[in-house]
Amino acid sequence: MDFNIVECVLLAILTFFFAIDQFSLTEIVYRPIIACPIIGLVLGDMETGLVVGGTYELMMIGNMPVGGAQPPNAVLGGIVAMIFAVKANMDTNAALGACMIFATFGQYVVTLTFTIMSGLMAKADKAAEEANPKGITNVLNISMLILGSLFAVITVLAYVGGTAMSETLQSLSDNASWLMGGLSAAGAMMRFVGFGILLKIMFANDMWGYLLAGFALALVFGNIAATASAALILVAFIGIMLALMDFKTSSLTKNAGNGGMSDGI
Amino acid sequence: MASNELLNYKDTTPAARLDNKTLNKMVWRSCQLQAAFNYERMQAAGWLWSILPGLQKIHTNKEDLAASMTHNMDFLNTHPFAVTFVMGMILSMEQQKLDIPTIRSVRISTAAPLGGIGDALFWMTLIPITAGMTANMAIDGSILGPILYFIIAFGAEMALRYGLMYWSYNMGTKAVGMMTSYAKEFTHAASVLGVFIIGALIANYGGGTKLGISIPNGQTAAEDGTMVDVFINIQEYLDKIVPCLIPLLFTLMCYFLIKKKGFTPVKLIGLFLVIGIVGAIFGIWAGEYTPLVPVPWNVIK
Repeated sequence: MDFNIVECVLLAILTFFFAIDQFSLTEIVYRPIIACPIIGLVLGDMETGLVVGGTYELMMIGNMPVGGAQPPNAVLGGIVAMIFAVKANMDTNAALGACMIFATFGQYVVTLTFTIMSGLMAKADKAAEEANPKGITNVLNISMLILGSLFAVITVLAYVGGTAMSETLQSLSDNASWLMGGLSAAGAMMRFVGFGILLKIMFANDMWGYLLAGFALALVFGNIAATASAALILVAFIGIMLALMDFKTSSLTKNAGNGGMSDGI
Repeated sequence: MASNELLNYKDTTPAARLDNKTLNKMVWRSCQLQAAFNYERMQAAGWLWSILPGLQKIHTNKEDLAASMTHNMDFLNTHPFAVTFVMGMILSMEQQKLDIPTIRSVRISTAAPLGGIGDALFWMTLIPITAGMTANMAIDGSILGPILYFIIAFGAEMALRYGLMYWSYNMGTKAVGMMTSYAKEFTHAASVLGVFIIGALIANYGGGTKLGISIPNGQTAAEDGTMVDVFINIQEYLDKIVPCLIPLLFTLMCYFLIKKKGFTPVKLIGLFLVIGIVGAIFGIWAGEYTPLVPVPWNVIK
């Protein structure tokens, strides 16, 4: 593969943008069907970009980013597939096959970034307490910078290292798999901190039953195939009924306490 | 300022209705909902950034703005395209200066269920159909494929953001007026709903945390007489007691450590990093990895 510094820099910039776009901005442009032709333009072969992008997009139909799940990363997958297809002259299917280790690796990078960025929340809390909007903007910018840069670095490595990088990455991911396993386990646990904070705010001692009932109902709905994808909204329906009952009971009690009189001020 | 002290705004005079320019600005800002996504609060920082123009207009004194910004940093996860529905609702409540616990409860109770609806409409319906239509055009070499894809998907996304913002803001402004006469009772009822939803979130989002220990336990004869390996899967036994037991216990642990021991979120994140990585060294947590220390069991997903 021939090395071209302009191509390499343009690719890094594009990757930086797509990496951010996959979670914010338009959330559409990063999809392979759009991203791959754009990368093709940079690499000088838009035709290949359309074919690889269209094929990749169809592959992803059954693999959508739903319910907070992280599927193999389409941004890195698409970019690396394009590098392989255009620079290493692989055919579409071979390139898409060879890029999968990068897509998996991209998933690790996302997990890692989301785990580290939990630490930024303390900074955001501080900015909020000081009523400082700029501080919140900074937190967002730092987060996007971290995510975009990590992705850009991997793309440059793939561009420079070419297909040989696949093997390096494979062995790296085999050797450090315990660390990645640990990080994703820890990442999955971080949300309990968020739940704990919410509970601290809302929880009163007369609410144990509600907490456990919501937990139980979500398990029931979640394990029935027909209701699994709608579990939370179904739980919310029942929750609304409970809240209305609670409201009714406590407002009746209030009226009774006032001797049936309206609360005269 | 400790977050549990936030009960009321100092200035409880309802603010003027937000003008369309501010609402539109927030619709565009809502695109950055996940710009600072992380596992602890998920979309919290992006959420706060999106509604900041509105909050700054509503809360003219600095103390109230600080209180509002602080409670808007709560854990939040909803569908990124449907978030403006929650925004409109919360902004109408902020504008009426309702008490803070009510706003917090309504926010989590509205946001959480929306995630599922948004996914079903967008990622499972609109995108597969659009992709099916346009991908073959692209494969045949037509640039119209990606362009159409962008117009349909981005158009639907922005239409949804705009429509939901105005609809829920107007609806909220009308509904919120009725809540104020029974404010205290309403807060309690909203908290009931909030706690109920948090219980559901633990089961719905927590399922990823499970044990991966599968102990080989000799062999047994199958029906056709061949010998098959038998494994004891510890998680299966736990599931027979209570499914999602570990997520429930971890959440309660966080609650008690924050409430009784005064743990900060950062400290808890550090704690979970240690629990996660040490657990993976010994092959305790489920996942596709090889433990660093050789252990006499298999790690399963």
